Amino acid sequence: MTDKKTVLIVDDDPDTVTYFSSLLEDNGYATVTAQNGADGIERVKQARPDLITLDVTMPETSGVRCYRDLRENDAWRTIPVIIITGVSGDFRTFISSRKHVPPPDGYLSKPVDAAELLELVRKLLPA
Amino acid sequence: MDLPYQQYFDAMPCYLTVQDRDFKVVTANRQFREAFGDYRGRYCYQVYKHRSEKCEVCPVEQTFRDGQVHSSEERVTCLDRTEVSVIVHTEAIRNEHGEITAVMEMSTNITDIKRLQHQLHDSQAHYRTLFEEVPCFISIQDRDLNIVDANRMHRETFGDFLGCKCYEIYKHRSEECFPCTVRETFEDHQVHIHEEVVTSHDGRPINVLVHTTPIVGASGAITQVMEMSADITAIRQLQTQLSSIGLLISSISHGIKGLLNGLNGGVYLVNKGLAAEDHTRVAKGWDIVQRNLARIRSMVLDILYYAKDREPDWTTLSAAAALCDVGEQMQEKGREQGVDVTIEADPQAGAFEGDEKAIRALLVNLAENSLDACRLDKKKPLHRVTLRAAGDGTHVRFDVEDNGIGMDRETREKAFSLFFSSKGSEGTGLGLFIANKIAAAHGGTIQIVSALDEGTRFTVVIPRVKTNVRHTPLAPEPTRDQPHD
Repeated sequence: MTDKKTVLIVDDDPDTVTYFSSLLEDNGYATVTAQNGADGIERVKQARPDLITLDVTMPETSGVRCYRDLRENDAWRTIPVIIITGVSGDFRTFISSRKHVPPPDGYLSKPVDAAELLELVRKLLPA
Repeated sequence: MDLPYQQYFDAMPCYLTVQDRDFKVVTANRQFREAFGDYRGRYCYQVYKHRSEKCEVCPVEQTFRDGQVHSSEERVTCLDRTEVSVIVHTEAIRNEHGEITAVMEMSTNITDIKRLQHQLHDSQAHYRTLFEEVPCFISIQDRDLNIVDANRMHRETFGDFLGCKCYEIYKHRSEECFPCTVRETFEDHQVHIHEEVVTSHDGRPINVLVHTTPIVGASGAITQVMEMSADITAIRQLQTQLSSIGLLISSISHGIKGLLNGLNGGVYLVNKGLAAEDHTRVAKGWDIVQRNLARIRSMVLDILYYAKDREPDWTTLSAAAALCDVGEQMQEKGREQGVDVTIEADPQAGAFEGDEKAIRALLVNLAENSLDACRLDKKKPLHRVTLRAAGDGTHVRFDVEDNGIGMDRETREKAFSLFFSSKGSEGTGLGLFIANKIAAAHGGTIQIVSALDEGTRFTVVIPRVKTNVRHTPLAPEPTRDQPHD
């Protein structure tokens, strides 16, 4: 059995999912993927990931809703979440303006630079 | 002839005469003498009117005949030829036997009053002309919001509906608007200014800049409010044209960022694959690169199509195939949303000339609107969207029908306006605007039949053979409207 840390990638764009999973697996992480917020929550229930990358604009349950569900659940509250979105600037304001919901652990704006994502993941998941 | 109280007779501030049965002036007061000169031996009509014969209607004659007081309005001419308007009263003078021996005629100078009357009349006519001909819509509303007066442009555009409620006429609503600036003006006596989209009697949306002004009665209280609306549709269209590029770019920037992210992923896989000589990985990465390049290309073409009046890229299309192509994509989306999407393409629908990408965009926009209408409707357990294609000798017809939330009349009439969305923050107000623009560019039309809480049917009719549409107006052309309600 491996001690690889697991990253859950939640994004409705299959190419983004392929990109992030390849990048992270190449760098020693295990990945699981989900195409929308509801699917993402299901994955978290099945196997608690060590970190989550979360898109905001998705069909079904949006990233915003998914984020709130994660933060309102005692068991999942401490999982680091990186918000990755093409919606520039707005999300940071949105999340920060909501009381009782702590800000996410990191933000990245699409298009995502590979080195930047890796650096943030490594920072949030120290070996 | 001496009269009792002669000095008072003389001092009366009017023209006073006493006349005999031949209408000879027997005596006259000072004011008369000053104005008309020596009366002695002369007849009334000679002195007053410079006539040689008596007047056709003569109040003095009438009084001689019946002994009653008579009055009339006359124009008389003074010695110096100035004309004077007078009100004439006659009174019989009787002897001790009660017989009429003379008639006293009293003429009051009303020249100044007549002049003021004329001025007032001219002024009223002048202001009425201004009210009627000013190039904006003017209506006067009472406290119950009834239109009590309206100018010509208003009547011609909204119909002659005096006595009706303003919101019925302007907006085809059954309830008062909120906020209502006419009400606000009644309450605070202030001028209010706001912008609106109203609808003409033939269903044409008009952007207006509205001023509401109090009309104050003699007591100082507001009796009515005047609503003046300038038609700024042309300005808004120009603004729309100028801002549409910026708006479109911002609305799709999210998509572009996603595509660039996909490209990054593809490039990452290609680079890693090349470094490791892993051809499977290179191929996988290259697939992603190619797919995202194609999507970016398509998106850029869409932007260009929407941002300017592009001449359609004409090809011959099968109506059934065009519908099925979109329909299958919509069935996929429908499954995700729990909406049953049915395709009913008549194989005899035949071919037509059109821009393939544009027709696809048109049908996708209508179908997505229908899916949204179903998703937003919480009142029905089952939702369906039906897509149909059919045709006759000259036109092809596409129907997109849903049993979603439906539209009220106001929503229906504004549906094709740019930036108008009934979906709150979820809508961009772009989809139906673009659909209508595409239909117009093909010489076609889109009709909406809709009823609130029941559903909506869009019917697109496009000529089989391309027509020369030189100019595609940014504002929607009026579409026929057949409300259920």
